[in-house]
Amino acid sequence: MSRNLISGNSLPLRKYCDILSGFLIAGGAVFYLGSSFLGLIPLASGAALYLFIIFYFEGREKGAGAVKKHMSRLAVPVIGIVSAVFFGAIIMLLTGYDPVRSYAALFYGGFVKNWYVSVLNATPLIFTGLSIAFAFKAGLFNIGAEGQYYIGAMAGAWLGLTLDLSPLLSIMLIYIGGSFIASLWNFIPALLKVKTGAHEVITTMMFAHIARYLSPIFIRAFGGDPATSSHAYVTYEIPQSNWLLSFRAFIPDANYRLHTGILIAVATAFFVNYMLNNSKTGFEIRAVGFNRDAARVQGISIGKNIFIAMMAAGALAGMAGITQVLGLDHKLFENLQAGYGWNGISVALLASNHPIGVIFTSLLWGALDAGGQYMARTTNTPNSIVEIIKGIMLFLIVAKYIYIYAVKFIKKKRRGGNA
Amino acid sequence: MPDWTFLMFLNTDLLVATVRLSTPITLAALGATVCEKAGVVNIAMEGIMIIGAFFAAVTAFYTGNPWLGLAAGVAAGGIYSLIHAVATISLHLDHVVSGAVLNILAFGITRYLMVLFFGHPGTSDAIPSFLGDYQFAVPFLSKIPVLGPVFFNQTPIIYISFFLVIFLSWFLKYTKTGLHIRAAGEHPLALETIGVSVYRIKYLAVFISGLASGLAGAYLSIENNVSFTEGMTNGKGFIALAAMISGGWSALGSFLSALFFGFADALQVRLQIFRVFHVPEELFIIFPYAATIIAVAGLVKRSRPPKADGVDFIIEKENE
Repeated sequence: MSRNLISGNSLPLRKYCDILSGFLIAGGAVFYLGSSFLGLIPLASGAALYLFIIFYFEGREKGAGAVKKHMSRLAVPVIGIVSAVFFGAIIMLLTGYDPVRSYAALFYGGFVKNWYVSVLNATPLIFTGLSIAFAFKAGLFNIGAEGQYYIGAMAGAWLGLTLDLSPLLSIMLIYIGGSFIASLWNFIPALLKVKTGAHEVITTMMFAHIARYLSPIFIRAFGGDPATSSHAYVTYEIPQSNWLLSFRAFIPDANYRLHTGILIAVATAFFVNYMLNNSKTGFEIRAVGFNRDAARVQGISIGKNIFIAMMAAGALAGMAGITQVLGLDHKLFENLQAGYGWNGISVALLASNHPIGVIFTSLLWGALDAGGQYMARTTNTPNSIVEIIKGIMLFLIVAKYIYIYAVKFIKKKRRGGNA
Repeated sequence: MPDWTFLMFLNTDLLVATVRLSTPITLAALGATVCEKAGVVNIAMEGIMIIGAFFAAVTAFYTGNPWLGLAAGVAAGGIYSLIHAVATISLHLDHVVSGAVLNILAFGITRYLMVLFFGHPGTSDAIPSFLGDYQFAVPFLSKIPVLGPVFFNQTPIIYISFFLVIFLSWFLKYTKTGLHIRAAGEHPLALETIGVSVYRIKYLAVFISGLASGLAGAYLSIENNVSFTEGMTNGKGFIALAAMISGGWSALGSFLSALFFGFADALQVRLQIFRVFHVPEELFIIFPYAATIIAVAGLVKRSRPPKADGVDFIIEKENE
């Protein structure tokens, strides 16, 4: 009915509305990630406009269908999160902590007070999560993303210290060169996987340990001097021209540490999503991951695609390290337990390897970490409860079969009741 | 001209250290072997070990008795591994995913409990008495040159690991349950047809792997050490996986590969101490990890995993 009224110019109008909603969402998201909560207004209105467009132009039925599809996709994660919070509360009660006060501090700290810390935490996680999700799409488990993270950080620091061109150009070169070097870290595991079938879980894991121990050597070579205590395990600072833009440049009250790496991370997630769904390579990689034999029958080269996926995974994890050096630290610390690789596994699994989902799960993980620190400071509840809550959450979300059982059980009961 | 004096350190002590360093790898690799023979891929050994190490240390600390600590570590490993069993067998979760989740969860649990039991994260307080005190020489056998001190003058869990290598080799090959475990990994449907519950056999195999990995953890915290440190497994669970693969999914092969990795580690420590080559010490530390990659790359082609390894097994029962 509504379509007929504006039949002549419905397409251009639709297009304008789409652009407007996209613009509102993107702009709002930039400000929200820059820790300006005013960004939520355009973000929410853009989302509302988007919903309205679907309902208005595609009819009520289709709109309701789209909403239902999104809701059902979110059902398992939401149930998992809520139950993990519930189990966490039980653990707190059993061990003598106040769950209400702890959770209040956790969520207030993570999502409101120290939201910028959450965003800072999420930035490298998005990259490592994308790395692991991408490899999973090809049926590979890049468990050693932690190692590629170190290599990326080292390469970023090295190029950051040596390159001195115009800021934008050298930052771009650092990203290209650094992620290339990080992808090389997966070269041998990829080669071994293709040639001998050596499992990537073992090889990438061993390479992760090797990368961990290479970083102190690198730091000593670039300014870290164990003889002086002031500068012991840190490289020189990279020149300011190679730093990533800080959000302060356009949001005056943003925290000075908050850098725009998060925007690069989000853009990368959209790029990866686009590549996976719209390119030939993306299709082939998914085919190899979905059913190797069927892919082979189709004439898709298994080895080539495994190789590409491994190298791309290495490059993505390396970008996490580069972003951390260029954006946050501006130098390389000896930090042997950064954990971005391991947490990257969690966020990828939580998002069931959906690149866009990784953005949200990384923000959730980042917020839990930031909130946990705030909670530990303001209440006496130890920070590490967050690790348990994260573990339970992960388990409840990946073990989807629980819900299949639950649904079966409820249906059976209902049937029994009616009869 | 290299300094050849280091050659004097290629002696019996090096071999003794080899056995000591390989024991946790041996135990976890034995567990993994049983588990994968039954068709369940287990990459959670790292996490199970850390749980075992923690509960062994806590029990030994509060009771003052390292033997109770040993029992607690083994039991905790077994119980924790049951989560993997439920997730992969009953809930049909991907085996590798479940293992990865359990590794992450183990880190969180031990970190939380560290604060609860010892008031701080990091390293626990030293236990009053540790199993290293119970080193004993087997009469006669320990008198054999070289092999005597290496294999027959050791600490309790090391002897247990030797026993388990022999026992599990026999158990898998000659007992009925062992046959069922192998059948569950090779051809589960055939096993189900003859009336044996594949699920039950798989649960048993995962539980055994949990006990063995828990024992490996206990070795780390209360026999080779006097305290628990977060992350003290340091990739040993994954090296054990490599030992199992390069050992061709057999108990004896796992043991031999573990000895090789232990040797790489023992050698590394000595090269580092005596600075034979003038390079950064970290290059020595990475030596065992590099050796692992080479061993897996070189031997993986020759070894064959169980046919249904990691394959989900679903039976539809009619009355459901």
